[in-house]
Amino acid sequence: MLAVAGLQVSYGSIAALRGVSLSVGSGEVVSVIGPNGAGKSTLMAAITGGVTPRGGSVVFEGTSLLSLGPKRIVQRGISLVPEGRRIFSSLTVHENLKVGASTRTDRAAIAADIERMLGHFPALRERLDRPAGRLSGGEQQQLAIARALLARPRLLLLDEPSLGLAPLVVDLVYRILARLRSEGITILLVEQNVHRALAVSDRTYVLRTGSIEMQGTSAELLQAPRFEEAYFGFAGMKRGDRGASPT
Amino acid sequence: MTILLQGVLDAVSIGGLFALMALGIGLIFGIMRLINFAHGELITIGGYAMVVLADAPPLATAILTLLFVILLALVMERLAFRPLRQASLPTLLIASFAVSYLLQNVLLLIFGGNTKGVNFLPSLSQPIEFSGLRITYLQTVIIVVTIVLLVAVTLFLKRTRFGIQMRAAAEDFRMAQLVGIGATAVAVTAFATSGFLASVVSLLYITQIGVILPQTGLQPALFGFVATVLGGLGSLLGAAVGGFVIGCLAVVLQIVLPLELRLFRDAFLFAILFAVLLIRPQGFIVVRWARERV
Amino acid sequence: MAAERLFGSWRERLWPVFVPVALIVVIVVLASFGSGSLQRTVTDGLIKLVIVVGLSMFIGNSGVVSFGHASFMAIGAYVSAWFTMPAALKRMRLPDLPAFIAQAQVSQLEAAVIAAGVAAAAAALIGVPLFRLAGVSASIGTFAVLAAIIAMIGNWDGLTGGKSSLIGVPVYTNLWIALGVAIAAIVVAHAFQRSRYGLRLQGSREDEVAAKAVGIGIYGLRILAFALSAFFVALAGVLHGHYLGILSADAFFLNITVITLAMLVIGGRNSLAGAVVGVIAVTTVTEVFRRIEAGFTIGDVVVAAPVGLTEVALAIFMLGILIFRPAGIMGGNEFTLPAQLGGKRHDRVVGAQG
Repeated sequence: MLAVAGLQVSYGSIAALRGVSLSVGSGEVVSVIGPNGAGKSTLMAAITGGVTPRGGSVVFEGTSLLSLGPKRIVQRGISLVPEGRRIFSSLTVHENLKVGASTRTDRAAIAADIERMLGHFPALRERLDRPAGRLSGGEQQQLAIARALLARPRLLLLDEPSLGLAPLVVDLVYRILARLRSEGITILLVEQNVHRALAVSDRTYVLRTGSIEMQGTSAELLQAPRFEEAYFGFAGMKRGDRGASPT
Repeated sequence: MTILLQGVLDAVSIGGLFALMALGIGLIFGIMRLINFAHGELITIGGYAMVVLADAPPLATAILTLLFVILLALVMERLAFRPLRQASLPTLLIASFAVSYLLQNVLLLIFGGNTKGVNFLPSLSQPIEFSGLRITYLQTVIIVVTIVLLVAVTLFLKRTRFGIQMRAAAEDFRMAQLVGIGATAVAVTAFATSGFLASVVSLLYITQIGVILPQTGLQPALFGFVATVLGGLGSLLGAAVGGFVIGCLAVVLQIVLPLELRLFRDAFLFAILFAVLLIRPQGFIVVRWARERV
Repeated sequence: MAAERLFGSWRERLWPVFVPVALIVVIVVLASFGSGSLQRTVTDGLIKLVIVVGLSMFIGNSGVVSFGHASFMAIGAYVSAWFTMPAALKRMRLPDLPAFIAQAQVSQLEAAVIAAGVAAAAAALIGVPLFRLAGVSASIGTFAVLAAIIAMIGNWDGLTGGKSSLIGVPVYTNLWIALGVAIAAIVVAHAFQRSRYGLRLQGSREDEVAAKAVGIGIYGLRILAFALSAFFVALAGVLHGHYLGILSADAFFLNITVITLAMLVIGGRNSLAGAVVGVIAVTTVTEVFRRIEAGFTIGDVVVAAPVGLTEVALAIFMLGILIFRPAGIMGGNEFTLPAQLGGKRHDRVVGAQG
């Protein structure tokens, strides 16, 4: 469905991605894990049209995304839940949802979709006409996911969905992801929270300093002896520390 | 009592004009992070359009002036500001200053530096008198048009799909693009709306002062810029309120200052506004997201 | 070896000052043999250079655009005129002048320093409310300040001559005096740019929020830079007044603001080299267009362009640079040492030691 090959992105003289290749098959949940500064958000930006790569390709369902603007990419079926949620805090919850459907014109279907989202996320229904900036962190994350889903994506990108949230709220977010998966939405997830990412995904890539260090099914990776070294850049981390997210 | 009421009437009509002015400036700032110095020249050019169209039927003059000014705002966006969309705030600021200066001098090239009279719908300047109060038809029109436009712009931004998208873009342009809002469409709409507001101000303001020079738009635009700061940069409501307050203050100063000090009215005005900003540097209405990025 | 290394680093450090100074000295020396009109152009260019270097002390270091510096130029010009005009003339033309100024007997140099000092003090005072505002708001504020001050100068007849201009200002500015002030401005600007304060201010340039977060006191630093730059811009005003012998409020409003900003932007906001290059580029372009405006003959036909063409050309030039080369001609760089002379050889010396 999505094929990234040899992707290179630099900011000035600093290389953020040095030839990253990965693929996501239809219906899969794929996670990209890696420490801070590994290039995870840059990868997301490159797929969604936020940065122009220096080399490589990003192909979605047979068409290259590289020369398309962000709007066209959304229209083709890719939505992003960005790092830090970035909901429109001065808009109401309802308006945020409507904005999520900006690329669509089917008014009736949009209204029905909003209704469906409110069914999935009852917390949002109670706060429908409140400015989104007043929501709690977990509610904002739900809103960001609902907003992205309103574009009716076939591939949903999530950038650090658990960042800055309390463990209970993280549980909720991951339950939502599991449900989306059961609905057949393909998901590409970027996480620092290794434990969570491996638990929810079919396959995982380890990204470190701009390159893919390891890849495999999530089950394989958990067993792989080199896994910690690939993730942390050095061996000998105690087993117990693995689940802790190094934020 | 009558003098007081008369003052209030005058203040409200001038305040309304400046509120529209500031709203047009605030709209562009909110969405593009651009203080458009050339907003004043949109008003001046509307005035010259009225000069050129002096012999046309008034309705035709009004409509053509509106269309021309909106068109010009769009041309400005396309030629000067679209190539600068990624530019830094200071670069944008200097660029719009350059555009303003460019337009002033193009007007100078075409029309020369002499004052031209504008005699649009002279009957509007007829005063109506009741119980000792004098109000011109024009002042009445200004007050009504201001109210109608403020309501219309508010409804546009709150109720329409496009208005909501514009507010989203005003808060976080990058994120707006990521949900599929077209950056160009938003910019074009913002400039068209701002141009429309400028053209209305032009019709009303130039009709009221009755003369036009290449620099005529400068002073009201400056009031408009200061109004957006006073109201709280990034807040449209703040801009409108700021404009209204400045307009009223200008009228009040005109009344209370002794004759020999009236020439220094603007200096007094800015001194008062600076004092207000010293106490409240963030302006009347604080926009949380704007403070972080302005 | 240590001496050599020190010498090398000194040379590198002084190079950004030496090249611009040498450049303008060469231009001035050449111009001094030239025609009267060439000398006028160069003197005028030097005065503008002082303004642009003064502007860069504030804009270049702080990243905040000021549209109001022409007001300090005006303050400098008028205050210096007050202190240097003949007493009889002052009694007649400027009845509102306070007695101590009206009767003051100071040298031209003292008057210049007083004038620049007054402007710097005014800048510091204005800076107190102004820099409580965030960058863009402060920029708008500077423009409001200019509009207010110009309106005052234009209307206060008893202090400034008002609309009818102030004539009888003693004329003493010449090519060499202008050169001296320009060199002084470049040296001070360079010293400030490299000073602790300058560096801290530059730190706030890219990211105001981050600078605040790490506790850089940008409020005070901005006021300091504003006052320092006002001092030199005011000196340019002094030179201007004593060059023309006549002062009018209009001379300190939009045209001078746009021309000097254009010079700064076209050369490149963040370097001294940019300021010098910008002044030379803009002076050349405007000079060409002024000639066209004045009219020239092709065969028997006299061609003259309408007034305003120069300004239009300047604005388009400026916009073109902002769009296609936003960092200016010099791209924010100083003149670098030619490889043969400095940098590379120095490297080789260091390399040989290691």
